[in-house]
Amino acid sequence: MENKVGYALWVLQEPVQYICLLAMASMYAIKIYTLMKKPGPPEKAELKGDRFAGAIHSLLNVLRPWGMESTSKNPYFYLEFLVFHIAVVLTIGSTFFIPLFPTLMTPVVTKVIMLFMGLAFLIGLRRIYRRFTAPEIRIISSPDDYFAIILMTTFFGVGFVTMSLWLEGKPETGWMWIFFLMTTFFLLYVPFSKISHYVLYPFNRVIFGQIFGGRGVLNRNKTDIKWLPR
Amino acid sequence: MSNSPEPAVAPAESTKTEKLGAPVERKWHVKSEFTPEMLQEMEKLLPTKLSRAVAASLAGCIHCGMCSDACHYSVSIPEDKTLLPAYKADRFRKWYKYRFDWMGRIFPAFVGAKPLTKELAEDMYDKLFGGCTMCRRCTFNCPMGVDYGLMVRGARGILTQVGRVPENLQDTVDTHYNHGNNMAVPQDEFVETIEWIEEELQSEDGCENFKIPVDKKGARYFLTLNPREPKYYPLTIQASAKVLNAAGVDFTISSRYWDLTNYALFNGCDPDAKLFSQWQVDDVKRLGCEYLLAGECGHGYRALRWESPNWVGGVPFKITSMMELMAKIVQDGRIKLDKSVWDGHRFTYHDSCNIARSGGVMEEPRIIIRAAVNDFVEMEHNREQSFCCGGGGGALAMPEFAKRRIAAGKIKADEIRATGADHCLQSCHNCTDQLKEIVDHYGIKAKVMNLAELLSPAIVL
Repeated sequence: MENKVGYALWVLQEPVQYICLLAMASMYAIKIYTLMKKPGPPEKAELKGDRFAGAIHSLLNVLRPWGMESTSKNPYFYLEFLVFHIAVVLTIGSTFFIPLFPTLMTPVVTKVIMLFMGLAFLIGLRRIYRRFTAPEIRIISSPDDYFAIILMTTFFGVGFVTMSLWLEGKPETGWMWIFFLMTTFFLLYVPFSKISHYVLYPFNRVIFGQIFGGRGVLNRNKTDIKWLPR
Repeated sequence: MSNSPEPAVAPAESTKTEKLGAPVERKWHVKSEFTPEMLQEMEKLLPTKLSRAVAASLAGCIHCGMCSDACHYSVSIPEDKTLLPAYKADRFRKWYKYRFDWMGRIFPAFVGAKPLTKELAEDMYDKLFGGCTMCRRCTFNCPMGVDYGLMVRGARGILTQVGRVPENLQDTVDTHYNHGNNMAVPQDEFVETIEWIEEELQSEDGCENFKIPVDKKGARYFLTLNPREPKYYPLTIQASAKVLNAAGVDFTISSRYWDLTNYALFNGCDPDAKLFSQWQVDDVKRLGCEYLLAGECGHGYRALRWESPNWVGGVPFKITSMMELMAKIVQDGRIKLDKSVWDGHRFTYHDSCNIARSGGVMEEPRIIIRAAVNDFVEMEHNREQSFCCGGGGGALAMPEFAKRRIAAGKIKADEIRATGADHCLQSCHNCTDQLKEIVDHYGIKAKVMNLAELLSPAIVL
């Protein structure tokens, strides 16, 4: 596929995106630096397990729905989570592929991305409904929570329509403009919103893994207990 | 250097009225409500509590609600949505966001940030002392890995520092500070109690030569106790001593810092936590023991085994627990057990949160139990997924929240009932008291006992 667009859309798709991307990266760098400056979890106790293995185990927790009761008892919820986040990656990816590597956006690739966008849109609608109606979710929700899920869901919807037009050989459409304007907004907004949780995820999971891996709670071999006292 | 021979016993043994605890006694000024000055002080204290783990946990919640089924409060009291872990933690998080979150500082209402007001502070007090036992079950079920236990302890530390702390809880810490143990057991009374328990032990068949050595220098194990044991449950000490003697374990009990509890884990006061730990570390060094052996106590085990080395900057000895040692004894065949003494009874085991989830001791109790009984049934949620009984986090020292504590124990009571067991085993004194209350309250016919009490009658001598 070719990305034959006018100068104005090109400016939005490339220089503007790069500037916003740089701004986002800078914000994240500050965030990460601020966290790293704080004291990490000490461990002077004699370990019963492996802190490093625990950290890896914990980081990969996202791929083990059976690892937590909250996901093992809600497999459908986990599946939604998985599809939604794959869609996020593909949608963000497409904003780079379209201007930079349009040839990668073959009809098959585009259709796969559209499939995830469509599913994520439906999942987003369900999540919006849940946030508005489930008492246990409503009570913990702030405007940012509603805004973030509505924004993401809209993004997927717009992305789906944009991709279908792209598939028809229409790279410059009003929908494409909206899609990239939203992307621009995302890049600037995300570091300040709850959507930036993916930057915090490794921190929390690694700390969790270090603590509970070292204590022998994670990764333990029930049949080969490392006894203390030895 | 003196040429005189080393005394057979440590100096403390000859001074039965030694002043233990801090040289100057104190009484914490507990406040019944927040004043503007206290709020100002809290603002100053907040940054000091923001370790990487706490800050990442405060910033990391995405309000997904996955924790709602993980908490014994929210599961047992489903009608009260303010007991959801995320909601409770948000009492602290709102203030954090108002101070440190970029968006929270510009558009606080948009991200749910709030300035610290008297109302928010009261809400923190209610939810973080009276609505959370820091059991970390929600932490294990949080996709983001948010550590609620550390976060809540940080908040409690701030509240305690300004004097807004449950009075009984703080009294327990003050008593420990003033007397060296949290029930102000005088040194001479303690030694007499141990001597009396030793006599009782020796009156059991086959135990005539069993000893409970006090202040024995160079003993391999330095056994620590929960003050409830010499005060109210001497049979627990007797049972532990019987197991240790039967297995030929070289142990001693100190006449000085024998109390393994550390309620500063609950009120979040790090200087006190460090001080209590340091006393015990110095005492182990005084007796030259190879192991500090935690008795059957949940938070005490965690405080000694995992937190104390961090509080004091490392220890020159090993730390273990009765649960681990008894399992080792059983595994090595150092005691012979007659399972038939428990025939006709069904057992279940409650994993104390601080022993299992926060302590890593999960298989050891099961090795002990399976060696001693024929009929053992697991609860639906066990090991690191076990629900808190409701007695953790110092909850038993907060009578103002007793009604909620008993209500929150419903899920545990239901799980005990479902096993059909007539004995509920555990290894923690806070759990003991809470389990006794909830089995009684919810009408379950089950006796609550610890692991040494399980082994003791089954030992073949």
